[in-house]
Amino acid sequence: MALARQDTNVKRRDASGPGQAERFPIVSMVLLALTFIGMMISIWMIFLYAPTDAIEGDAQRIFYFHLPSAIIGMLSLGIVALGGIVYLWKKDERWDWVARAAAELGTVFLTFALITGSIWGRTTWGTWWTWDARLTTTLILWFIYIGYLMLRSYMGRTPASARAGAVLAIIGLIDVPIIYESVNWWRTLHPQAVLPLGSSPQLPLEMLLTLVVAFITFTLLFSFLMVQLYQLEKMQTLAQQLRASVE
Amino acid sequence: MQGLTYLVVAYVIVWVGLLAYLGVVMLRIRGVRTELAAVKELVREQQEKRS
Repeated sequence: MALARQDTNVKRRDASGPGQAERFPIVSMVLLALTFIGMMISIWMIFLYAPTDAIEGDAQRIFYFHLPSAIIGMLSLGIVALGGIVYLWKKDERWDWVARAAAELGTVFLTFALITGSIWGRTTWGTWWTWDARLTTTLILWFIYIGYLMLRSYMGRTPASARAGAVLAIIGLIDVPIIYESVNWWRTLHPQAVLPLGSSPQLPLEMLLTLVVAFITFTLLFSFLMVQLYQLEKMQTLAQQLRASVE
Repeated sequence: MQGLTYLVVAYVIVWVGLLAYLGVVMLRIRGVRTELAAVKELVREQQEKRS
């Protein structure tokens, strides 16, 4: 560990003791176990507990994975922006690792939301895609994520890259409330919000419970993956700094 | 019946996609661990040469 005490505060933190390194696998194991249990319960509830929608039929069940993926995909950009703001404020590299990890996961979850939404659209609207306000603003968010990842990859692990990423995420965050309000601001094909802020849910109890369980499960999955990607970012930065010290 | 087919396709895509992504993340972590161990060894060798 003496090797790690060379230049930066990152290395000094990393060398703070074995306890910190040992805790992460335990957290990961617990999160993974909870995610697995949650997935099993979610699948049972989605296919057997939740009633079949009278109008949309079985295809409506896509919604139980689509909505949590979309919400987590949107909220991830909030984490990216928060990580960027705290990084700009404190110059602490750990917040940049959080931002990078959240950006990657946001892309993954939003991709699932777009794919499952497209499949649902095919059954309900008869088309895979339409330039509806909700769909278009969500696609813009997906491109913001892709732009963020490309920018970070192109600029490497430098302070300038972290600053540019933070600015992009903060500006990109404007799209999230636009996505949420798009069904109210414009005439759209997309269904209205089933969980409107400040009023009661527009769903039967069984469907609402299934949605809540699926959302908790996806949040657990997101947390598990965040821990993995954070560790990955940490190790990649340490490897790069050590490599630079021997060159 | 058509709705059921789309439902199954959607869930298969999500599950296969998630498992594939999980596999890629684990491979990346393993790769970085290996690289980190190699770089640490290199630094140790350099420090021994200097001392």
